[in-house]
Amino acid sequence: MRAERELKQFVRAALALLAREADVAACEVYCSSSEHRVARLNYTSDIASRGVEEFKSLNADGFALRIVMRRDAQETATAAIAGDLSLEAVRAALERARHTTVADPHFPGLPAAPRILPRSIRAAVASDLMRTPDRAIAQAAWRIVGGAIGAYRAGAPLKLARPGLVIGGDLSLIRDRIAIGSSAFTDLRADQSAHFVASVTALVESLAAKGTATAVGGSRDAMSREGARLGRAAVTRALALRHGERPAAGAWRVVLGPQPIAEILNYMVMPSLTAGAFHAATSAYHGRFGTPVIDARLSLADDPHASTGPVRRRITCEGLPAAATELIRAGRLVGLLSNVYDSHRLATDEHRAEKLGAGANPDTAFPARNGYRMGESPARRYDGHPGSTGTNVMMRTRAGVGDRELIGAVGDGLYIGRIWYTYPINGQRAGDFTCTVSGDSYVIRDGKLAAPLAPNCLRINANIEQVFARPIAVGKRSSPAVVWGAPEAYFVPALALEAITLARIGDDTAG
Amino acid sequence: MAVKRSRFAAASAHDGFAAVDFLKREGAAALRRFMRAHRGALYAELRFEAVLHRSAAASDGANRESTENESAALGVAVQCGDRHGLAAQGQTGVEIGRLALSRPHLLAALDRALGEAHERARCNLREKAAMLRTLGAAANALTRAAEYAPSSARDEIAAVYDRDPRTLDPGEMQRLCHDASAAIAGLGTDIAFNAVAALSELRHELFINTAGALISQAFAFVQGDCYVVAQTANGHQENYDTIGQQRGFEALAEGWRDELMPNPDLHRFALDLARETRELAAAPVLKPPDGEVTVVTDPHFNALVAHEIIGHPSEADRALKMEAAYAGRSWFLQSLDHNEIGRPVGSPLLWACSDPTLNGFGHYRYDHEGTAGRRVTHIEGGVFRGFLNSRATAAALGVEPNGSARASEAWHVPLIRMSNTFFMPGASDPQRMIAEVDRGYYVCGSLTPSIAESRENFRISARRVYEIEHGRLGRLYRSGSVMGDSKSFFTHIDAVGNDLRMIAIPNCGKGQPMQVKRMSNGGPTLRSRARMGGG
Repeated sequence: MRAERELKQFVRAALALLAREADVAACEVYCSSSEHRVARLNYTSDIASRGVEEFKSLNADGFALRIVMRRDAQETATAAIAGDLSLEAVRAALERARHTTVADPHFPGLPAAPRILPRSIRAAVASDLMRTPDRAIAQAAWRIVGGAIGAYRAGAPLKLARPGLVIGGDLSLIRDRIAIGSSAFTDLRADQSAHFVASVTALVESLAAKGTATAVGGSRDAMSREGARLGRAAVTRALALRHGERPAAGAWRVVLGPQPIAEILNYMVMPSLTAGAFHAATSAYHGRFGTPVIDARLSLADDPHASTGPVRRRITCEGLPAAATELIRAGRLVGLLSNVYDSHRLATDEHRAEKLGAGANPDTAFPARNGYRMGESPARRYDGHPGSTGTNVMMRTRAGVGDRELIGAVGDGLYIGRIWYTYPINGQRAGDFTCTVSGDSYVIRDGKLAAPLAPNCLRINANIEQVFARPIAVGKRSSPAVVWGAPEAYFVPALALEAITLARIGDDTAG
Repeated sequence: MAVKRSRFAAASAHDGFAAVDFLKREGAAALRRFMRAHRGALYAELRFEAVLHRSAAASDGANRESTENESAALGVAVQCGDRHGLAAQGQTGVEIGRLALSRPHLLAALDRALGEAHERARCNLREKAAMLRTLGAAANALTRAAEYAPSSARDEIAAVYDRDPRTLDPGEMQRLCHDASAAIAGLGTDIAFNAVAALSELRHELFINTAGALISQAFAFVQGDCYVVAQTANGHQENYDTIGQQRGFEALAEGWRDELMPNPDLHRFALDLARETRELAAAPVLKPPDGEVTVVTDPHFNALVAHEIIGHPSEADRALKMEAAYAGRSWFLQSLDHNEIGRPVGSPLLWACSDPTLNGFGHYRYDHEGTAGRRVTHIEGGVFRGFLNSRATAAALGVEPNGSARASEAWHVPLIRMSNTFFMPGASDPQRMIAEVDRGYYVCGSLTPSIAESRENFRISARRVYEIEHGRLGRLYRSGSVMGDSKSFFTHIDAVGNDLRMIAIPNCGKGQPMQVKRMSNGGPTLRSRARMGGG
C-alpha cells in the first residue's frame, strides 16, 4: 500500500497542475490505496479439500479527478485512473474528463465547507492491522480450521466414517488510505483505516447440524484471539443443534437474534434511510420523516467514531468530516444518510414536502456525512462514486431485557438465530421481505429454549413493520453481527415478535 | 446466430490494449524466470486484462454523468509444494491501470505480484503442514485434493461488433440516455423517478501459464438499464430491467434482432418499461388464495428461475460445499454417495443446459483456467445429468472439465459461473398453454428472487400477474410472486412452450469479496403448480 505522505504529495501536485488550466473553474482530486486480503476456508471431511482454499490479496491504487468547467458552473466531468500517480496521468485524466463533460442542472458544486478541517479530526487512527504480514493471517486462518476439526473430534457423538463435516467462511483484512484536496478546500485531507472480519460456518451433514460464528475487530491481537475461538465455536454450536425439529407452517411468535436483525436492517431498512431513497420516492418511510416509524424503545444511528466499532472513518470520501448520524431516535425518524449530491437533490426537490411528509420540519437539512466511494469490497476505492453508506450501525434499546426474559416473553415459539437471502420482494418501498431460516435456531417451549430447529426448513414472509413497529420485547444488549457483502458493521439487539408468518419448505429434499 | 462482422484483435501502441500484445510476447518468459528463481514453486499462471469502458446516465430527463475509463489489471496464482507432496496456493490481484503502458513498470508489477503470491503460498503450505502434524489422520481430507493437469491451449479470439467501441462518441451515448429519460418523465406526473443508463465496453483478456497455455480473448459488451418508480392514488411500483449484448453500440441505438435474445433499442425499451410501471402502480395488489394453483410463467420470469434453481445449484463448487458459508450448497448433491445425478428431479418435459458457445451475454470460448467452454446438459428429460465445473472440482467429481471457471475481473480468483443457462424449448404453443387453464395465473417478468440455502425452495416476485379464468387472461395485479419447492415445481410441469427467449443478466454476485458477473438466462413459457405470494 502507498504511504499517506505519497498520496498527499500527489494530490497537492495534481491540484497545482489543474489550477493552471484556463477552462477549469474548480477541481477536486481524490486518491486511494486499498488492499483486501482474504484467506478463504474450505474443509470437507468427505471430499478432498485444501483447508485454506484461496489465500489472496486485491490491491487497488488510483485517483479520480472532478472538474467544473469555467463556461458553465453546472458543466462537470470526472475521470479515474488506476495505478499511476504521476502528473502525466493527471494530464491524461484531464483530457478524458474534457471529453466527457455533462451539464447536470442539479450539480451542487464541489463540497466546500469546512474549508479547513478542525485540528481535532486531522489525525488518522492507526491500527497495527496496517502492518500485519501474510504469516499472521495464515496462522489465524489455519487456527480456525484446526480448532474446528479438533472440536469435532472432541464433541462428535459417533465416530462416523463419513460425518459430512464442512468448515467454510473466511478471514478478511481490509485496509485503505485516502487523500483528497480541492480548489474549495484550504487543506489536504487524509484518512486510513484497517479492520478484519471473520465468518465461519460449520456443518455436520450426517447430523443435519449447522452452526456459525463471526467476529469483527480492529487489532492484530483481536484477530489472533478470534482465530483461536471461531472454528471451535462454530462446530460446538453445530453439534448442539443436531437433528433439529421441523415445525409446522403458520403465524409464530419468534425471537429474532442479532444476525437476523442486522440482515433485515441491511437489506430492508438502511437503503430506505438515505436522502437518495427519499428523492427517488422508494423509501419504505416515504412521507413519514419526523414521525414514529418503529417502536419507541428502539433507536438507530451510524457512528464512524464508535469506540467498539471496527469501521473507523475521520473524513468521508468527499473530504468532509465523518460524524455520527442519528437516524431514528426513540422510534422517530430524525436523520438520513447522505452525500453532497443527494443532500442537494432532496433539498431542491419540488416534491420534497410530499416525499418527507407533514411531520418533517421544512428547514430540516441532511448533512453529507456519509459519502463513501465503495466497490464490491468493503475498502474505499479510487473510482467509485460517493454513495450514502454506513460505517458502524448501532441499534440501541430502552427498557430492554436480558436473553432469558426475551425468550420467556415468547412463551411458545421459535428463536431464529440466522437468516439468509433477505430481499425486498415487492420493492423497497413496500417493506415486504422474504428469507429462509438457515441455522443457529431453536424451538421455544414454556419460555425456554427446548430443542434445536432444523436449518433450512422455514421461510419467513413478513413486512418490516411487523419486525420493528411492535415487538413484544426488546433485548438490552447490542451484539456485533456480520452481513455478507455489507461494508457496514452492525451492533444490534435481539427482538421478540408477534405473529410472524412462516412457510414450511424443502420437505421433498429434506433428510 | 448472428454473423460475425468487424473484428478487434490488435491495438495501437498508445493504449492499454498494447500491453496485451506485449505480454503475449514476454509473459511466458517472465513466468519461466519466476519458476527458476523460486524454490518450491510447482506452477504459476498469469491473467491480464485491458478494458475500455464508457458509460452515460440520465435521471428525470436531466443528464447525470458520462464516463470513460481505460483500465488494466493482472491476477497471478502460484502453487508451491514440499518434499512430502503437500501443496498450497497463493494469489495476488492488482489493478495496475495506466502503469501497464510502461513495459518496465508492467514487468516489475508482474514480478512483484508473483513474489507476493509465492510468499503467500509458502505461508499457506507451512501452516497446512503444521496443522497436519497436529491433527494427523483426522485431517486426511487435506492431503487428497487432486486437479487435472493445467491447460496448454493456445488460441486467439476476436470481439464482434459493427460500431467500434473505441471510436464511440460519448455525446451520442449521453443523448440516448437523456432522450429516453426525458420521454419517460414526459409520460406524466405518475412517474416519480426514472434513471436510464448505457455502457459500452471493449475487453481484452490474456491467460498464460507455465504449462504452455496462451489464450487471448476479446469481448465487446453493451448494456442498457432502466429504473422507473411510478405512484398513483392506488399505489406505487418500482421496476427495473436490462438489455445487453456482446456486440457494439448498434445493439442499443438500433436494437438487436437475434432470434434467441432480441432487444428493442434503448429508447423504446425504457419507454415500454415506464408505461408498464404506470399501469402496475394503478393495479391492485395480488391477494392470492391459499394452496397451490396452476401457474403459467413467461420466458422473462423463467430466466430468473433458470438462474436461481438450475444454474446456481449446478455449480460444482456449491455442490462440493465450497460455498457453504456464502452462496449455499446444492439440492442436486447431498453427498458424493447420495445425490441426484442420474435421477429424476422434474417432469420428463424438462430440459436445461448451459452453453457458452451461443451468442448470449454469457458467451465465451475459454474459461479463466484455459479450458474450452462447451455445452453442459443439466437436466435431460427430467433427469439431472451434470454440473458446471473447474479443473479441481471436475477431478473431485471424476468427470472431464467443462470450462466454467471464470472471474469477473483479472484481479479476482476464478469461480464456477453460469454462461448462457436456460430451459430448453418444448413443443407447446404458449397461447394454448393459457387457453387450457380453467383457473390460474399468468406470471410475467421477473423482479426479485429469494432462495433457500441449497436452492431447494424459492420465492420469486413477478412484474405482472394476470388472473386466468376459463382459459382467458383477466385482471392485472402487482406484487405477486411464485413460491415453491424446486423439485415439486419441476415435477408438476405439464407443458413447455416453443418460445425460448434469453435475457441479459448483468449482476450475478458470488464469491468473497463479491464478484459481479454478466451472463444470459432464459427459457420458454412453462406451466406448473405452485403457491402464489402477494403483498
